[in-house]
Amino acid sequence: MLVGDSSGVKGGGAGDTAPEAPKAPALRLGVSGIARKRARADEHEKARKGAGKMRLFETSETGSVEIVVDEDIKARQEELAERNRELLRERGIRAFDVAGSVGAGKTSLIAEMVGRLKDKHGVAVIAGDVATTHDAERVAQRGAKKVLQINTGGMCHLDASLVWRALGQLPDSGIDVLFIENVGNLICPSYFSLGAEARVVVVSASEGAHVIEKHPAMFETAELVVLNKTDIAEAVHVDLAEPMADLARVRPALKVVKTNCLAGEGVDEVLRALSLA
Amino acid sequence: MHEFSIASEIWQSVLKAVHTHGVARACPPAAWRVRSVTVEIGDFNLIEEEQLSFWLQQLGERDGSPGVELKAKRRPGRVRCKECGEEGAVERREEDVGFVAVMLPACPKCGSRNVEVIGGRELRVVSAEVVQEESDGGGE
Repeated sequence: MLVGDSSGVKGGGAGDTAPEAPKAPALRLGVSGIARKRARADEHEKARKGAGKMRLFETSETGSVEIVVDEDIKARQEELAERNRELLRERGIRAFDVAGSVGAGKTSLIAEMVGRLKDKHGVAVIAGDVATTHDAERVAQRGAKKVLQINTGGMCHLDASLVWRALGQLPDSGIDVLFIENVGNLICPSYFSLGAEARVVVVSASEGAHVIEKHPAMFETAELVVLNKTDIAEAVHVDLAEPMADLARVRPALKVVKTNCLAGEGVDEVLRALSLA
Repeated sequence: MHEFSIASEIWQSVLKAVHTHGVARACPPAAWRVRSVTVEIGDFNLIEEEQLSFWLQQLGERDGSPGVELKAKRRPGRVRCKECGEEGAVERREEDVGFVAVMLPACPKCGSRNVEVIGGRELRVVSAEVVQEESDGGGE
């Protein structure tokens, strides 16, 4: 069975049986779904017995039928992101998608921001990870009002539908800032808009001088870049002028803030850049 | 791995279209299968076609359409140069490794990277080819 069951949920008005009982729609649909299935099975049986090898639908010479799908996948992803955006707007929540490599400092940045915002704002965090809840625990300790963990299993990015489900678990009131920590990855998340107000890409000195030039798609979708671990640049032989120059080439007007998140340096400036302070 | 997510979305929209079309209503599920899916893929999506095809086949197999074929219509990356005004398709240059040609597009005429992307971001499921299985025994 393919998606017949789920199409039956919407297809109530298709001229099938079960016209009575306008109340209790779930039950009615359930019953009519079963009735429809049974009727269909009878039809099939008749067709099979009576018609031998009669074709069940019109086909071309190649024995196939071409069905127009005409579905813009990108547009659909954008619609899902828009649905998140609307919900967040309705509820007065400002959301930020924090993306970057594994180990770039996304959690450290979020933990520092939560610590600075917690007295004035109700901050929630959605922590996307392939597995474990370490990150969620870390930001909870810093004073986040609500921390939701999305374990993607194997998925290398969050998408709008996962975030939608998580948004449904936020408390009804008291939240006005939301940080969504994306899965550590500098490639795949760039294709999936989550419906946040802005995307912050965290990149650290220890990822090498040309990490930005090597992953331009990610920076194309960013509203702010946080260049983290500036304190160890020298130790890992990275001249920070190089990533800055690459960024100027990939996205000339993009704002950059240099940080050392573990020590809290530059975090206030990140908050100002996001107009959170 | 995003090829899997995209394959899932493609497959869902194909199944939806097949059911809306009525083929699925006219026949029992075992009597039809999707033979091929035509998808327009812009080069700027950085989609590995082989990988996408693999996942589509896996999904097809799960849902009673083994061997479903991906028919990709590639849409080349096109740019408009902000320096010299040239409009054209992005070409792979010798020094470009892997996806670099499309990730850092350059003007085909003057080589400037200061370009605006005007084509190649498409990702659209165009159509699906559905075949009727022989009713008893071997398919085709």
